[in-house]
Amino acid sequence: MNLLGKSLTQLQSLLKSKEVTPSELTSYFTERSKRYNKDLNAYLTFADKEVSSSRGELAGIPLSIKDNFCTKGVKTTAASKVLENFIPPYDATVVTNLKNAGVSFFGKTNMDAWAHGSSTETSDFGPAKNPWSIERTPGGSSGGSASAVSAYLSPASIGSETAGSIRQPASWCGVIGLKPSYGRVSRYGVVAMGSSLDCPGPITSTVEDAALLLKIIAGKDKYDATTADIPVVDYQSFLQKKNTYTIGITDEYFVGVNNEVKQKVMESISVFERIGHKVKKIKLMAPKYAVSVYTIIQRAEVSSNLGRYTGIRFGKDRSFFGGEAKKRIMLGTYSLSHGYYDAYYKTAQKVRTLIIEDFKRVFNEVDVILSPTTPGTALRLGEFAKYPFFGEVMDILNEPAAVAGIPAISVPCGLDSQGLPVGLQIMGKYFDEKSVLNLAYQFEKETNFFDVIKNGFQNYH
Amino acid sequence: MKKTVNLSKEDILHLAQLANLKLSEKEVITFQKQLTETLDYVENLNELNIKDITPTNYSTDIKNCTFDDGTVCERMFSQEEALENTNEKKNSYFVVKRIM
Repeated sequence: MNLLGKSLTQLQSLLKSKEVTPSELTSYFTERSKRYNKDLNAYLTFADKEVSSSRGELAGIPLSIKDNFCTKGVKTTAASKVLENFIPPYDATVVTNLKNAGVSFFGKTNMDAWAHGSSTETSDFGPAKNPWSIERTPGGSSGGSASAVSAYLSPASIGSETAGSIRQPASWCGVIGLKPSYGRVSRYGVVAMGSSLDCPGPITSTVEDAALLLKIIAGKDKYDATTADIPVVDYQSFLQKKNTYTIGITDEYFVGVNNEVKQKVMESISVFERIGHKVKKIKLMAPKYAVSVYTIIQRAEVSSNLGRYTGIRFGKDRSFFGGEAKKRIMLGTYSLSHGYYDAYYKTAQKVRTLIIEDFKRVFNEVDVILSPTTPGTALRLGEFAKYPFFGEVMDILNEPAAVAGIPAISVPCGLDSQGLPVGLQIMGKYFDEKSVLNLAYQFEKETNFFDVIKNGFQNYH
Repeated sequence: MKKTVNLSKEDILHLAQLANLKLSEKEVITFQKQLTETLDYVENLNELNIKDITPTNYSTDIKNCTFDDGTVCERMFSQEEALENTNEKKNSYFVVKRIM
């Protein structure tokens, strides 16, 4: 049977009707992944012995997961030499939840080391490549996951975001990436980066798959005190509702965006109007402030979180940190040090309040906000170095939602003239993943994402 | 926030020492430039009025999240598991550097 491009829900039915067995599926994805990994470097580790459970909603489904999620007995490096030999003695909650649903994890995907970066180039094990053009980066930090889903080396993958690390690579690889609200999904067992921002989420080839995975990984976790005790919605059933939404668009999120991306996003906005949604002009704070808030808070939290890597209890000593990690640790150390704390960290936290209030105000007028996911399409490998902050600006349109903790999704909305995927971003109210998913689903039904995902799979038939 | 911060080479070395990091000559020069660049960028926060604004630590409003008394601990490691990932152990203890 030709399995190429089958979604999780399609694979669920094929398994149910016994047209394919769990072991056939695992071999299929493991073999494809190993074959194409020479080109794409999307994986760091293959877990050959993992078997899926025969029980649960996703019984028999093999998935890949970013290498910053602790997987019991399977090497977890966060793409850093410091953790080159680290074998976690426990599973992250996200991993436990998916295993309980029947999933097996056959591979750990490449990423920027410690998730520091937007291109997967800071990985200590070499960059992952973009399946649409292997001279280009898949984006990052969940670049390996996005690359794997885009080339159908994995039917879906679990990534993580601090600010843009799911949405930006999903956009550049022409797949779907969902960043849930902060506190919706447990961070327990995820190699910590910015603890007040980190957020696991799915990268998939259909909106329904994203809804399905979110339902399984979301919820209160007693081991992560920041997870909220808010009931998890059956996101998948909610997709079927034919809701109409008021969509906000703001000029601030089109500043510095290249014309082709702008045009694709404007065309998508007219699709939403055509299918009955109302589009309203709104005004939001310029994203550049969120970049500053994010930069200060994230570096500070990084310097604290990476303090535990002393080489004593696990891992190698601090001399194995790469340049990017060192740089971030030092900036965080600076902004938290005596005499600078108020000027930087506290100021950033206050502006963070302003950003949250700004979103709250706008969400009184509109249900969701629409914008490009990124200002441009995938850069060439090495090109990031030309930009300040090693490409932090590529995440500029993702950082406001991250700082505010609200959910956002990136879906493909066409190709630019170089044949590279363009991403459309939908941001929603705090804990309103269901509306974000519902609207993305309506867009999928209407356009099939202009066949971007389907054509992506054909590159690796 | 001070206008136009210029980190000196000594500042960089001091930060590296605080963070227990060893830097090469080249890294010192690169970081001096890059960190100064970053500090320049974030000065745009000074354009905003933040008087009387309460800082946000977390975007969730959860308060005082604690385990109930008597909660059974389900995630304890055995001594072997706890020592599995260390490079240096002696008589079932971690080996650390002398500090006194």
